[in-house]
Amino acid sequence: MSVGPVARNEATAAFFDFAARGELLILRCPAGHHSGPRAHRCEVCGADGLEPVAACGRARLVSWAVVHRRDGSTSTPAIVELEEGPWWWTALVEGDAAVLAEGLPLEVVFARQEGSEAVPVFRPSA
Amino acid sequence: MPRGIAARKPVIAGLGLTELGKVYGRSAASLAAEAVTRAVEDAGMALADLDGLLTSNGVSGGVGLGLQGDLGLRELKLLSEMQSFGSTAGAMVQVASMAVNCGMADAVACVFADAPLRPGRGAGEVYSAGRRPDRPAGAPPSGWGGLLVSTGVAGANTMYALAARRHMLRYGTTEDDLAAVAVAQREWAARNPLAQMRDPITVEDHHNSRWIAEPFRKLDCCLVSNGAVAVVVTSAERAAHLAKPPVHVLGWAQRHPGYQMRRDPEFGLVSGAARSGPDALAMAGVALDEVQVAELYDCYTYTVIVSLEDYGFCAKGEGGAFVSGGGLARPDERGEARSGRLKLNTGGGQLSSYYMWGMTPLSEAVIQVRGEGGDRQVHPHDVALVSGNGGILDHHSTLVLGSEATA
Repeated sequence: MSVGPVARNEATAAFFDFAARGELLILRCPAGHHSGPRAHRCEVCGADGLEPVAACGRARLVSWAVVHRRDGSTSTPAIVELEEGPWWWTALVEGDAAVLAEGLPLEVVFARQEGSEAVPVFRPSA
Repeated sequence: MPRGIAARKPVIAGLGLTELGKVYGRSAASLAAEAVTRAVEDAGMALADLDGLLTSNGVSGGVGLGLQGDLGLRELKLLSEMQSFGSTAGAMVQVASMAVNCGMADAVACVFADAPLRPGRGAGEVYSAGRRPDRPAGAPPSGWGGLLVSTGVAGANTMYALAARRHMLRYGTTEDDLAAVAVAQREWAARNPLAQMRDPITVEDHHNSRWIAEPFRKLDCCLVSNGAVAVVVTSAERAAHLAKPPVHVLGWAQRHPGYQMRRDPEFGLVSGAARSGPDALAMAGVALDEVQVAELYDCYTYTVIVSLEDYGFCAKGEGGAFVSGGGLARPDERGEARSGRLKLNTGGGQLSSYYMWGMTPLSEAVIQVRGEGGDRQVHPHDVALVSGNGGILDHHSTLVLGSEATA
């Protein structure tokens, strides 16, 4: 599928800085728990003082949909569970729909195009 | 003779519906004013009798505190715009019931209105456009929402499809099960003069309808409608002298799960119905097997299946087998008290009748409890369960409604 363009704003600037160098930003609290990049407090213990870190990039497939457009094209949005714990709503690329299954190992890749920030998406692990 | 709060049992005394569906050329605000006026007339009251007003917007917006001025209401004791998406209708009735119960107000109108449909444009297109934040032409979307748009994870169809897929993976729910809900509800809609879609459908018709977001086909998805629906909540004492049989608000509850989106949350598997249902039934002093008709929020076929499980009409994970295996009453069985099957979404629901968010199940429940259901009227009709579901399974309301016999 094609990934659409996206622009940064204040809330997403750090996320796209990470994405530009091929990293998926997540947040780590002082106790070492990981939260998704949109968290304001630790999702596990409620702590403040979250610091941005790069996720390892491995994930497993939780659920997926196959969206059909009027022009006949399809895309495969999905929920993936990052190895660090948080869920992430993203797009699956390069995967044959026939191989998709709950728990399928995935890895992050970055879709890059003119006029857009780099966008992390996932594909079945090599 | 009970006094004070005990004497002020809340009831729904009026129901007002505008024309629903492809109603063009009217704003949501104008439709809302008409629905409130109709609800007041239905109750045998005058607009000036209202001392409370609660409003709820769909995606088109434009319905708010200004409705007071549009209706010429003076000295209101309660006025607010409420928002918990599909659970708002139930939540408005709950707030109105509490206001009546404690004496804060005597007669509260609750109204929902929406007008996203435009002539010549597809329902899905106008619906998603109504939710999209404004941005300059040609500019890419920004923010976290923009990231979701860029990866195609946008809109209710996709988000509910992800929830439904999870239910199917975990419990073995099938496309035939989804179809069974659509087919059953269309049978009821065929008898509902208010319904937009009244032609019978088969499981095969469901499977042949085009894909929207797998696992959902077109016939898994609710309609989009223009229109407005209002109810008037007042006290049983007052309703005794009004035009219509009172519909008692016996019990109510909400749940907002606050799913933690990390390692194995209940998202897609369990909804807020699992906790708001027992709470509302306990308040009403009603057992689940005393519920004679259930009007469950049906933005998608899947939502009905997960709600049936969560309310306890069947075991967790068996919703698919329940709807496919004869758990649902057919319209021809509507007079059989002991068929053992559930009389569900008797107006056709949002899949087949009209999409007025939580007002769809609520309005049909009021019609049924009053005995005004005509060719689709169930018997007995003394206890109804009504659900509201909002966000992506984020917000849930339950109402237990009863006839005069239950008061």
